[in-house]
Amino acid sequence: MRGDKKFRRIEEWVATASAIVLVVCFIATSAHAAPQNTARTNAAEAKSSAMRTVVDDNDRKVTVPMEVRRVVSLAPNLTEAIYALGLEDKLVGDTDVCDTPPAAKLKPHVGGTMNPNLEAIVALHPDLVVAGAINQWDIERALEHLGIPVYGTDPQTVEGMLASTRKVANILGADAKGAEVVGQLQTRLDVLKAKLADRPLAHVLFVVWMDPLITTGQDTFIADALKWAGAESVVMSSQKWPHLSFEEVVRVQPEYIVLTPDHQESNAAGLADLRSRNGWKDLQAVEEGHVVVISAAINRPSPGMIDAIEQAAHAFHPEAFGSDSTQSEAHAEPQLESTVQLNVNSECAACVH
Amino acid sequence: MRPLTPKRILWTCGWLTALLFVAMVVALRMGAYPISVPDIVKALFNGAIGHWQEIPSEHQMVVFGLRLPRIALEILVGASLSVAGVGFQALLRNPLADPYVLGVSSGAALGAIVSLIAVPHTPGAIQVAAFLGAAVTIAAVYFLGRRGGQLDSATLLLAGIAATLFLSAAIICLMTTLTGRDLRGMAFWLMGDLSSPPPVTNVVGWLGFLFTVFLIASGAIYTTSSDLNLILTGEEEARHLGVNVRRVKLVVYVSASILTGLAVSVSGAVGFVGLLVPHLMRMLFGTDHRILIPASVIGGAIAIVIADTLARTVVAPTEVPVGAMTALAGAPVFIYLMRRRVR
Repeated sequence: MRGDKKFRRIEEWVATASAIVLVVCFIATSAHAAPQNTARTNAAEAKSSAMRTVVDDNDRKVTVPMEVRRVVSLAPNLTEAIYALGLEDKLVGDTDVCDTPPAAKLKPHVGGTMNPNLEAIVALHPDLVVAGAINQWDIERALEHLGIPVYGTDPQTVEGMLASTRKVANILGADAKGAEVVGQLQTRLDVLKAKLADRPLAHVLFVVWMDPLITTGQDTFIADALKWAGAESVVMSSQKWPHLSFEEVVRVQPEYIVLTPDHQESNAAGLADLRSRNGWKDLQAVEEGHVVVISAAINRPSPGMIDAIEQAAHAFHPEAFGSDSTQSEAHAEPQLESTVQLNVNSECAACVH
Repeated sequence: MRPLTPKRILWTCGWLTALLFVAMVVALRMGAYPISVPDIVKALFNGAIGHWQEIPSEHQMVVFGLRLPRIALEILVGASLSVAGVGFQALLRNPLADPYVLGVSSGAALGAIVSLIAVPHTPGAIQVAAFLGAAVTIAAVYFLGRRGGQLDSATLLLAGIAATLFLSAAIICLMTTLTGRDLRGMAFWLMGDLSSPPPVTNVVGWLGFLFTVFLIASGAIYTTSSDLNLILTGEEEARHLGVNVRRVKLVVYVSASILTGLAVSVSGAVGFVGLLVPHLMRMLFGTDHRILIPASVIGGAIAIVIADTLARTVVAPTEVPVGAMTALAGAPVFIYLMRRRVR
């Protein structure tokens, strides 16, 4: 160990150097922290005359501009709602999975819903960002740290979705249009409710994901949508999206099996596919042809969900709609084998991948 | 190989630091928000002299709010994992050892998932819980890994592997109870990810705290570097030469564990760096811990800065987890160097 003394000196040297680096870091950063905050408050003060404070679905107080000009949507259901409200001109960006309506695909994207790119959001100069239940909960904090207000929505039911849509319309300065759009949707729901009032609830297995089998519990917006369509999930689970063993399916013998055409795999084939699957083909519902493929819109708490609910209601209770075709405006196509096929391509918002 | 002199250590660290600096500049330049190098320099200069009003607010957001804190985190995670890797490889005298081999990352992930279930949506809870999970696992593995009052490499390694398997199973069971966004968040977390925002509003104080812990822990490992060289030739020999093997092992074990817990609690399990960087540095600069440790600190920082810059930009605006990037880019480099050395 000849050089040991030298090395001891080196070790001291390293310690001193690190101490210096540490001090420099602290000075540089504390010098930077304070003025940045004042700059932000200055900017906020300048704008404050035109700001107002609202409470979002997550009970957070959000200061939003009186007149929102540029909004970024972080969830496909919100993108859809903004289009339904006719506010697409204010929408300056959305996510990779915002595909409804098709025009939404042409907007600049800020990444996926799971981890949108903060820089890409900043680059679009939004004065408001709207987020949904699908986004990471801390995205709001991250954006607010950058001085961009985030309005969070979290509808748990169909009516919650309507209320949320109205609030979004209000914040984007389209109160009248919001009342109109939501009023129409509410009317359609009321019509359904009246028609299905004396029908028993159909017991259905809603397949959120086929392999592994994931379904919906009783406490999700899909379960609520099924209730509006005159049906109920057979799975009595406190979990929202329970993994189900196939034995349980055999035990409960659902009246209908509900699929959505949102997975690239197999589902599009619907009844034919289930008839070729071991186990599934022996289920009563499959033998009787009670396999219903409904629009993937039911997976998103958005205005388009009402279409899917109507469609499902027609499939579960054809006799309730049988005689008068005048009432059901949108989806009264004649149904073969109670199987409705729709080609809707979309990412499933509810699924747990 | 030339004899190791203090001068050589300084030169090596010097040019590695220069390399890190270049990587940092590139990382500052790249990203979804288009900003030119002169603008960055202007923003940095104005920031340094305190003229905040002269920086456009969006440049302020991007450079000081997003990129600089993230680069600081990258450096912290990379440096911590590499030093922890050097420590564990020496301690276990096993070239395959890495910071996760003792179950640390699984413990941290379990802590994170428990916090997601118990106190959902509390800022900072995940990080604290992850660190606690890592600490408890490390303590448990330490006591399981002792044999006759001594820390036994083989027993420790086995205890770590058993702990990893057990904890991973517990994580999978708990994950079935998570839903929706929590589950997706968890998945990202298990892969290692630096894109999530800092858990506190005082980012600067938080980074300062993390770097202080890092400097103390890695400094503690550095003080044992001469002893580690001797231990590597054999514990008995080292003991005869007057090394307090027990004390050295304890210091390295605790420090490397703290470093791993620190890295995991801010970034999740970023794999491969703790294994790859120390070996790379050994191939480049030799096995002497007096140069290996500082070289690994800077090398690890460079590796993660580059990997995370790629993660941010390759499929922008979408981000890839940095853990995937470290393995994708790291494995081929590693294999190339290994084969070249064999020949």
